[in-house]
Amino acid sequence: MRKKLLFISMVLLSAVLLSACAGGAIRGSSWPGLTADGDIAYLANGGLVYAVNLKDGKEIWHYPASASSKQVFYAAPVVTEDGLIIVGSAGTEHSMIAINPADINPETNSPLEAWTFADATDHWVASPLVVGDKLFAPNADGNLYILDLSDGRSQKQSVAVVELAGRLWAQPATDGEHVFVTSLDHSIFAVDVKTYEIVWHEEVGGAIPGSPTIGADGMLYVGSLASQLEQFDPQTGKHTSVLDAEGWIWSTPVVDGDTLYFGDLKGNFYSFSTSTGELNWSAQPDGPITANAIVQNDHILLATESGNIYALDKDGKTLWFEDIRDEKLNGKIYTSPVVASDLILIAPLETDFNLTALDTNGRTVWTFVPEK
Amino acid sequence: MWDLFVSIFTNALLWIYNLVGQNFGVAIILFTILIKVATWPLNAQQLKGAKAMQDLQNDKDWQAIQKKYAKDKEKLAQEQMRVYREKGINPFGSCLPTLIQFPIIIALYRSITQALASTPLDLLKLSRSINADFLDVANLIPLKSNFLWMNLGQPESVHIPGLAFGIPTLAIVVAATTYIQSKLTMPASTNPNDQSAAMGQSMAYTMPLMLGWFALTFPSGLAVYFITSNLLGIVQYAMQGKANWSNLLPKGMRPS
Repeated sequence: MRKKLLFISMVLLSAVLLSACAGGAIRGSSWPGLTADGDIAYLANGGLVYAVNLKDGKEIWHYPASASSKQVFYAAPVVTEDGLIIVGSAGTEHSMIAINPADINPETNSPLEAWTFADATDHWVASPLVVGDKLFAPNADGNLYILDLSDGRSQKQSVAVVELAGRLWAQPATDGEHVFVTSLDHSIFAVDVKTYEIVWHEEVGGAIPGSPTIGADGMLYVGSLASQLEQFDPQTGKHTSVLDAEGWIWSTPVVDGDTLYFGDLKGNFYSFSTSTGELNWSAQPDGPITANAIVQNDHILLATESGNIYALDKDGKTLWFEDIRDEKLNGKIYTSPVVASDLILIAPLETDFNLTALDTNGRTVWTFVPEK
Repeated sequence: MWDLFVSIFTNALLWIYNLVGQNFGVAIILFTILIKVATWPLNAQQLKGAKAMQDLQNDKDWQAIQKKYAKDKEKLAQEQMRVYREKGINPFGSCLPTLIQFPIIIALYRSITQALASTPLDLLKLSRSINADFLDVANLIPLKSNFLWMNLGQPESVHIPGLAFGIPTLAIVVAATTYIQSKLTMPASTNPNDQSAAMGQSMAYTMPLMLGWFALTFPSGLAVYFITSNLLGIVQYAMQGKANWSNLLPKGMRPS
């Protein structure tokens, strides 16, 4: 009898161990998504989305009332003109939710949903893009779902579903005529913003995990895991490789006049001129770069996986750097920093805080630790 | 150390994936066959040990000392050890190979889920665990996770028009093949106090439920591994002449 009990216990223990391992595979784990609007930062950090007051770093609310594996959030929330917070789930439920911060449940102090969309069949990793009253939402199932934000429905249905290819992980970009969507399937698509038809589809040498960006010259730029910066004609899709990077390009190039700034996974940071088609300069901070850079006044802010924030001048000279790592923990930064209310917001991973705010000189103003 | 072990498995899996024209389902099946072949001697030893222990339960001398020293546990243990020595049986002979295989199974499982990277962080980790010297990483990533009607990165179910829910066919096949495998390896026991037979009975019902549950909730790539592994296990038992096919028949129809 004792042996039988021991055996059953071992089977159950194995089940628990395997479940623990597999949990990560199903729910996925990733870095947080961060955005800010006015005086509030929105942090999608696993089971919960937090609204944090930028003045003092205190939590205003979190959604849902309690975390579960059904809803897991990593995509940066999108704030609409009417104040809704849209965020997709990478949990076992593949729902996209519009949170209404004006409608708080008094019992849980958590906001309610204005609407939900549940037709996607895979994770939401990408943030959606709002164009007029339409929402262009790329899903990991390879479809671009187009929702009508003005139809007043609480259970949204898509206006159109555009079948693209591969996993769509990045927020689209638009030039007003087209919505440009990148895919891990080495592809980029241009979709007509009114007819929802695919205008062109081109392939590059590697997966594209980042968003495309439109340069001051009107051309479309995107980096890929083939370590190349590609330039596309937004009308025809005709493209050419304009720069060979040393490592994979994960981040989205950031535009500053006729200059693009972006990093690679070998730890290089590039300044590229779209007018000359030449590299202005490159710098080597201290680690791989997945986060997008920020141009703020005459500074370029960049974050490395190693946990450092750098402020460079436009010639690539380091003005200051800040190590956000805890003394005991190896905090890492993958999430793109956000600038709001004269604060630089950083959402690190593997630290004992979820969000920190630096001033423009890199000094910590506050850190946000969710209540347990 | 553990990460290195998983990384070796992941690289081997991806190497096969590349070799078979980037078909992840075929890669899982071939890799499972490879692992089964590599652990064949361990499985054979486990079967041998289990059979020896089973035979011992029906041994008259063994049953006699169980009765004689039922109230003296210390003496019983001494006598049991003596019988083990005399008959050349290692009491852990059936457990040890299983324990050695356990990390292999977990590593295989981890490598499958790691290769199917479903989030940016998972993909970043995958890219760092691949050896770029012998694999064209930029070309390989992301893995094509479609196989037959399945997305290997998602739990599987077949939707039939008119039914509001999907039928988890793979989970059913996993549970069925696990049950068949368990029943085939269960030798007939004449001893009603045979503890290993009782454990075998428990296993025949617990394991299919457990693995069926995994197949129902986890990526279907794992279910492909379970099914391949179960079928190969059945083949191995049959090849060694250990498969007890009569166990698949209802009790009244079994040959005496």
